[in-house]
Amino acid sequence: MALPKRIIKETERLMAEPVPGISAVPHEDNLRYFDVKIHGPSQSPYEGGVFKLELFLPDDYPMTPPKIRFLTKIYHPNIDKLGRICLDVLKSNWSPALQIRTILLSIQALLGAPNPDDPLANDVAQDWKTDEKAAIQTARDWTSKYAAPE
Amino acid sequence: MAKVPRNFRLLEELEKGEKGLGAEACSYGLENGDDLLMTNWNGTILGPPHSVHENRIYSLKIHCGPDYPDVPPEISFVSKINLPCVDPNNGKVDPGKLPCLMDWKRQFTMETILIELRRYMALPQHKKLPQPPEGSSYS
Repeated sequence: MALPKRIIKETERLMAEPVPGISAVPHEDNLRYFDVKIHGPSQSPYEGGVFKLELFLPDDYPMTPPKIRFLTKIYHPNIDKLGRICLDVLKSNWSPALQIRTILLSIQALLGAPNPDDPLANDVAQDWKTDEKAAIQTARDWTSKYAAPE
Repeated sequence: MAKVPRNFRLLEELEKGEKGLGAEACSYGLENGDDLLMTNWNGTILGPPHSVHENRIYSLKIHCGPDYPDVPPEISFVSKINLPCVDPNNGKVDPGKLPCLMDWKRQFTMETILIELRRYMALPQHKKLPQPPEGSSYS
């Protein structure tokens, strides 16, 4: 089946003008399926880490949001053990005006601004609220353990 | 139709299983909740009524390899059972003897297999087969 023009355009732009600290490369055998890498933002506990994600554009994209999850283990109150992400723009606040590019930027921003008041990983959010300093240290430890650049 | 990649397919199955949206008599879930690769699953089948399996609960293990769902998962009974499609030594389901595994299609799910196994247990030629004691397991 032909790939919709919208997806082709987005892909071309992602390749031609990549966002700093983010890469997204489609699989050769499935152009709706992307390997994504996001660099942890500076001055966050994820700084220095490179996080792998996978992204899939379902049939009804852009009427429905992309599906995306972390493949790298990460300690973050809005990301669960299976790498699923709690982010409003991936759910109720999705709009077809958003793009792969804007979603990946939102995820990078989420790494810089964890929100324990809207948690997906309840145990992590609890740690974050009771002892933020220790939680940030755990996030740093996991970053160096699991997200070391290759 | 877009081809849903393995991991997103398994996430869909997981969510369906967690929300209990599937068939009531079968259930399935991840063996380890933090297995990012979502390879190993547990399943259960409630024995079909009007058969020797009635009121028994059977546990199974399901292994979804890297090529799932292009190829079917490996599935085996943990609870002992006497059925022609199950190896009596280790509980493995013989993919050559269960129609949905023989003619596997990409849109089939773990639930498809569990439901078909339950139906297979209730077939007239299977529903009265003598069974091992309830609660025994393959080691």
